[in-house]
Amino acid sequence: MSNISIGQFFPGNSIIHRLDPRMKLVLTFIYIIVIFLCKNFYALGVMVLSLFVIVLVSKIPLKIIAKSIKPILIIIIFTAILNVFYVDKGNMLFEWHFLKVTTGGIYTAVFMIVRITALVVASSMLTYTTSPTLITDGIEQLLSPLKFMKNSVHTIAMMMTIALRFIPTLVDEFEKITNAQKARGADLETGTLLERAKALIPVLVPLFITSFRRAYELAFAMECRCYHGAEGRTRMKVMKYSKLDVFASLFILISTGGVVALNILFPHLI
Amino acid sequence: MSILKTDNLTFKYSVGTPFEVTALDSVNLEIEEGELVAVIGHTGSGKSTLIQHFNGLLKPTSGKVIVDGQDIWESKATLKEARFKVGLCFQYPEYQLFEETAFKDIAFGPKNMGLSEKEVEERVLRAAEFTGVTSEMLDKSPFDLSGGEKRRVAIAGVMAMEPKILILDEPTSGLDPKGRDQILHLIRNYKNETGSTVMIVSHSMEDVARYATKVLVVNKSKIVSYDTPPKTFSRAEELESYGLDVPEITKVFLELKKRGLPVRTDVYTLEFGLNELKRLREEGFKL
Ligand SMILES: Nc1ncnc2c1ncn2[C@@H]1O[C@H](COP(=O)(O)OP(=O)(O)O)[C@@H](O)[C@H]1O
Ligand SMILES: [Mg+2]
Repeated sequence: MSNISIGQFFPGNSIIHRLDPRMKLVLTFIYIIVIFLCKNFYALGVMVLSLFVIVLVSKIPLKIIAKSIKPILIIIIFTAILNVFYVDKGNMLFEWHFLKVTTGGIYTAVFMIVRITALVVASSMLTYTTSPTLITDGIEQLLSPLKFMKNSVHTIAMMMTIALRFIPTLVDEFEKITNAQKARGADLETGTLLERAKALIPVLVPLFITSFRRAYELAFAMECRCYHGAEGRTRMKVMKYSKLDVFASLFILISTGGVVALNILFPHLI
Repeated sequence: MSILKTDNLTFKYSVGTPFEVTALDSVNLEIEEGELVAVIGHTGSGKSTLIQHFNGLLKPTSGKVIVDGQDIWESKATLKEARFKVGLCFQYPEYQLFEETAFKDIAFGPKNMGLSEKEVEERVLRAAEFTGVTSEMLDKSPFDLSGGEKRRVAIAGVMAMEPKILILDEPTSGLDPKGRDQILHLIRNYKNETGSTVMIVSHSMEDVARYATKVLVVNKSKIVSYDTPPKTFSRAEELESYGLDVPEITKVFLELKKRGLPVRTDVYTLEFGLNELKRLREEGFKL
C-alpha cells in the first residue's frame, strides 16, 4: 500500500517494465540529452511522438502520468510567461509600455512547455516502471567499472537502497503516530505556524526513536547474515540484457537520428 | 438508546487509484452502553479500519457514524466532541510515547481537552491507578520503562481522557502471558468501575470468552455477527469458515458431542464446562 505514498513505482508487466534497469537508465539519460538538443518543433515532435509510444506501451494510465506533471506545473507556467515577454522576435502582437508580446515569444514559450513536460514525463517513466531497488542496483552496476572506488560505490548504492526501502515505512509510521496523537486530542491543523511546528513534537519524537531503533535492528540483522560490504559479494538476481533491450536502444537511436536530421534540415525554431 | 451506531458505513482506501480497496462494506451496528465488546476477525478483515471511524480519524466514504445520538461528521464541533468521547488506543501504543516523564505523557490527552491543571493531575493519577502505574514510574522517562510498563502508560494516556467509549486495538499483542492478563484485568476493572463502554480488538479466543459481554465478528469488510460469547462460539463451523478459532474448551465439548454425548456446545469457559460435566454425571452418564 505504501508504494502509493511516494507515488512513484507503478507495478506492471509491460515491455517497458521488463527492460533491463541499466538500459532504462542509460536510455532515459540519452533521451533527456536529445530533448535538449532539439532545435525546432519538428525535432521536438519526433521526441514527443516516441515518448507517446513509450507511454502507450508501458500501459500506465494517462491520469497517473498527468499526476507527475502536477508538482512542476508552476515552474512550467513561470518559464512560459517569462519567455512570452522576454523573447522579442517575429511579428509584434501586443504592446503595452515595456511589455511586448511577439509571435517569436509565443513559439518559444510553447516550445519550452513541451520540452519541460517531455522531460518530466520521460524521467517519471523510468521511476514508474522500475522499482526503487532496481534503480539503485542499476546505478550501482553502471558505476561498477570505477573499480578504484568500487567499495564506496557499493556503500552508497546500499545506503540509497535502504533509504528508498524505508521511505514508505517512515510515511506509514508517520501516519500511524499522527493518528495516535490525534486520538489523544492533538491538533495538528490549526494555529499559527509556530504552534503547528510545536504540535509536531509529539509526532516527531516517537518517529525518530522508532527510526533509530529500526536502524540498529537492521544493522544487527545484516551483520547476523554476514554482511560485510562489497568484497566478494555476488548477486542473487543477475541482470541480463535481452532482445527487448536491443529493440529499445534501436528505438531511441532512430529517434535520435531523426532529431539530428531534422535539426540540420530546419535550422529555425519553426 | 445505543451509545454507538453506524448507518450503512462504507469505507474505501485510495479511492480513484488502481489500489482502491473496500475495507468496510455497508456496516450497520448498534452498541449499547456498558458492554465490553470484543472485535474478532481475520487479519485484513477491516477491524482497525472500523474502529478508526468511531472517533472520526477516518471519514466514511458513505454512511454515518453516530456516537451518543450525534452524527459525528455533522460539523467541526461534533467531530471534536467525538475525539474526546471515544478514546482510541492503537496497536503497539508504546510507540506513541514522547514526553520527558510518564506523568507528562499521560497528561497529554487531558491537557488537549483544555482541562484545568488540577483536573489534569487528578485524571492522570486516577488513570495511573487503574493501570497499575506507580508514582515512581510516573516520574521516570517513559523510554526507561519495560515493555509492559510502557504499554500500561500508553493505555493510561487514553484512559485519562475518561472517554465514554474506550477502544483498544489488540492491546495485548506482543506481551507475555502475565502482561496480557494484567492488561485485560485492568481493562475490565476500568469498565466495571467507570461503567464506560469498552471495545477490544483481540485475536485470543480465550481472552474474548473470559472478558467480553458481546462479540463482534468481522469478515471480509462486513459484520457477520454481533452476539454474546456463548451464542457466538456455539457456531464453531461458521467461525472456522471466517478463518477464526473457538476457545479450546469449546473444541472439547464439540468433540464430545460428535462422539455422541448429549452435551451443550455453547460452552466457552472452564467453570461452565465443569458444570456441564457435573450435570451429565448427575443424569447418569459414566464419565
Ligand atoms: N492505510 C491503508 N491504505 C490502504 N489500504 C489499507 C490501509 N490500511 C488498511 N488497508 C487495507 O484495508 C483492509 C482492512 O485492513 P485493516 O482494517 O487494517 O484490517 P485488520 O485490522 O482487521 O487486520 C486490508 O485489505 C488492508 O490491506
Ligand atoms: Mg488491525
